[in-house]
Amino acid sequence: MNRLDFHTKIAALQQLDKTKTVQHRIGICCGAGCISSGSEEILKKLESEVQQRGLSEKVEVIPTGCMGPCNHGPLLKHLDQHTIYQKVNCTNITSILQQHVIEQTLIEDQLLFSDSRTNAHADYRADPFFKKQCKIALRNCGKINPESIEAYLLQDGYKALDKALFEYTPEEIIGEIKHSRLRGRGGAGYPTGIKWETVYKYVNNEKYVICNGDEGDPGAFMDRSILEGDPFSVLEGITIAAYAVGASKGYAYIRGEYPLAIKRFESALKQARKWGLLGNQILGSSFHFDLEVRIGAGAFVCGEETALIASIEGKRGTPKPRPPFPAQSGLWGKPTLINNVETFAAIVPIVLKGGEWYSEIGTAKSAGTKVFALAGKVNYAGLIEVPMGTSLREIVFEIGGGMQNQASFKAAQTGGPSGGCIPIEFLDVKMDYESLLSLGSIMGSGGLIIMDEHSDMVDVARFFMEFCMDESCGKCVPCRVGTKMMHDLLQKICINKGTNKDLERLEELALYVKETSLCGLGASAPNPLLSTLRHFRSEYETRIHPSQDTVQDKNQSG
Amino acid sequence: MNTIHVNINNIEIPTTADKTILDVCREHKIDIPTMCHLKGLSDVGACRLCIVEIEGMNKLQSACTTKVADHMIIQTNTDRIKKYRRITTELFFAERNHVCSVCVANGKCELQNLGYQVEMDHVRYPFLFPQCEVDTSHPWYVMDHNRCIMCTRCVRVCQEVEGAHNWDVMNRGHAVRIISDFNTPWGESTTCTSCGKCLHACPTGAIWPKAIVQGQLEKKPEIIEELIEKRKMHDGF
Repeated sequence: MNRLDFHTKIAALQQLDKTKTVQHRIGICCGAGCISSGSEEILKKLESEVQQRGLSEKVEVIPTGCMGPCNHGPLLKHLDQHTIYQKVNCTNITSILQQHVIEQTLIEDQLLFSDSRTNAHADYRADPFFKKQCKIALRNCGKINPESIEAYLLQDGYKALDKALFEYTPEEIIGEIKHSRLRGRGGAGYPTGIKWETVYKYVNNEKYVICNGDEGDPGAFMDRSILEGDPFSVLEGITIAAYAVGASKGYAYIRGEYPLAIKRFESALKQARKWGLLGNQILGSSFHFDLEVRIGAGAFVCGEETALIASIEGKRGTPKPRPPFPAQSGLWGKPTLINNVETFAAIVPIVLKGGEWYSEIGTAKSAGTKVFALAGKVNYAGLIEVPMGTSLREIVFEIGGGMQNQASFKAAQTGGPSGGCIPIEFLDVKMDYESLLSLGSIMGSGGLIIMDEHSDMVDVARFFMEFCMDESCGKCVPCRVGTKMMHDLLQKICINKGTNKDLERLEELALYVKETSLCGLGASAPNPLLSTLRHFRSEYETRIHPSQDTVQDKNQSG
Repeated sequence: MNTIHVNINNIEIPTTADKTILDVCREHKIDIPTMCHLKGLSDVGACRLCIVEIEGMNKLQSACTTKVADHMIIQTNTDRIKKYRRITTELFFAERNHVCSVCVANGKCELQNLGYQVEMDHVRYPFLFPQCEVDTSHPWYVMDHNRCIMCTRCVRVCQEVEGAHNWDVMNRGHAVRIISDFNTPWGESTTCTSCGKCLHACPTGAIWPKAIVQGQLEKKPEIIEELIEKRKMHDGF
């Protein structure tokens, strides 16, 4: 299909959409969380109900991606009136259809957050949970059917690729990305534009683009939700990146534990090929690009770029020392661009609206927005996207609706097993790369676990160390043996058998593993330990000198 | 190739950019301990003994995998590096069951020598004492996992020099083990040519020929390098 045909088809699609008689588009969240609480069954029930009542011309039922407030699911959203109903089930779905859609009366006691807020909003956008958010990477999540390219095209889908191919040179796209100050959302925060430029500059007739969807942090579900909720936006971002760096082949490495993400992304690939948006001479240009899905086999270390590349090559997924960086010598020794799912999801809006627009969101050093998987002891847990620099307090108490059961906030764990814990004294910390680093934590990929007074910080450190110990690939000594030693020492302290000597050893080992490990997994494995030692040292010391008082305290609270 | 200059431990050294830091150090008799490196085999940077400090880089780099660059300023023996090398050595000894006094490699063991080199007088970490197998199924050789330090020199020599790829690695973390074929007894291997290169590549007493006892192991790791050199000459003709 050439460019002209494409535009004609889009225009026809838009025309068709306008002539539709549908007045009520009802979205049922088919994100992972809602599906596990039965939303697929609800979707079927609603569809058959609409059919039976002869409402098909007026009501359209749409399965969508994640809507956000995951712990209130299954969710139903009236896409035209912006009303969300929570905890929908196969029984109350018929009354919602009857009352809200046919009789046009609001069912107040089933509105989102109606059980916890005195003034639940009929328009969800007015609720603080959504008001503080700024959805860029998640712009289509929970709004459109993720398995329909037509739905994506109606949301200005592939307009950015069209613009990139015919109005920009690769250099200009890279310039735009550099201007946007977008940084890698996988965790390390390397400037995306500079990465693209480096790959672009290596002259080679074979280059690769890889999308890293091997999200493995416990409690993280950002990439999963994007892949499940808006796969086309990631795909379009990857295609633009391939054009910019000069690659004609790409891989999307998605972890095997995400079957739905794989299914939806593969369906997106098929549809894009049908529309001529992947393959030879895309939109009639001279640009060729195709993409293949590779399924991860469950190793956390394969999220590390060199291990991921080894895994795609069919080898054991172990990291290699860098330099050389993948940009110079990556997949099969060729220059390779590797970015995270969320990074690619931000590309389309940047190309459409310009780097300037994106760079104005967020803080001076961290531009744009960040998706967080807000979990733990907050009232409203789920998937959120906020401008960089939003304070932790705003996230916990405004978006998250405060702590569950009026408990007091103790710490926020960011960055998963590579990150650290932020104590209450730093509740006003701005969530950006530099501020989190200065507190001994990291931004990471966006896992955000809120803990209350009942959380035991030594046990938290032990949990993450156990994770790293199990997930170490076993290649280098510091990570393979060091994490095991640190875990055993933490275990000993947890059961009140630790000594001051043990604590000393632990600190020495933590620095050793951090500085000598081969890859990022080992280098960051001591972070949860180091940050809890920094902010909650007394909890370690109490375990080492258990006085009668503290033992009593524990018994009372436990 | 153009001559470049690097500064190692405050000494200016002229060299060429195709060399690794380790190559340059070995040429100039600057002592850097290694365990996973064996001349002629590809380098993996796994043992982390050869870590060095490079000015302008915030991370310690392994000398075996890092190429020299013009004006690079390198320190190979700072207090921090010495301390870390000692910890690595202790972790090697604590990880599996190394009992020098009964080992075939006693007196000829690279791990034992490393202990002396970093002045390890005792191990400060608890010994893990894992349950490890001793595979005696091969008619001539023994693989004793108790003495294996996972340097993977056997894996690489088998794959890169012999071309048989009998050895590989399984599992993760501290549960990693060297395996023959798809984790079957060595004696039943369909790929092993019984060439014995792995035996010479092994730095410890993990792979040894049957019918020897304590301290009798004779290893010639240098034959691997010689073999590679001879092949290059052959290819040249």
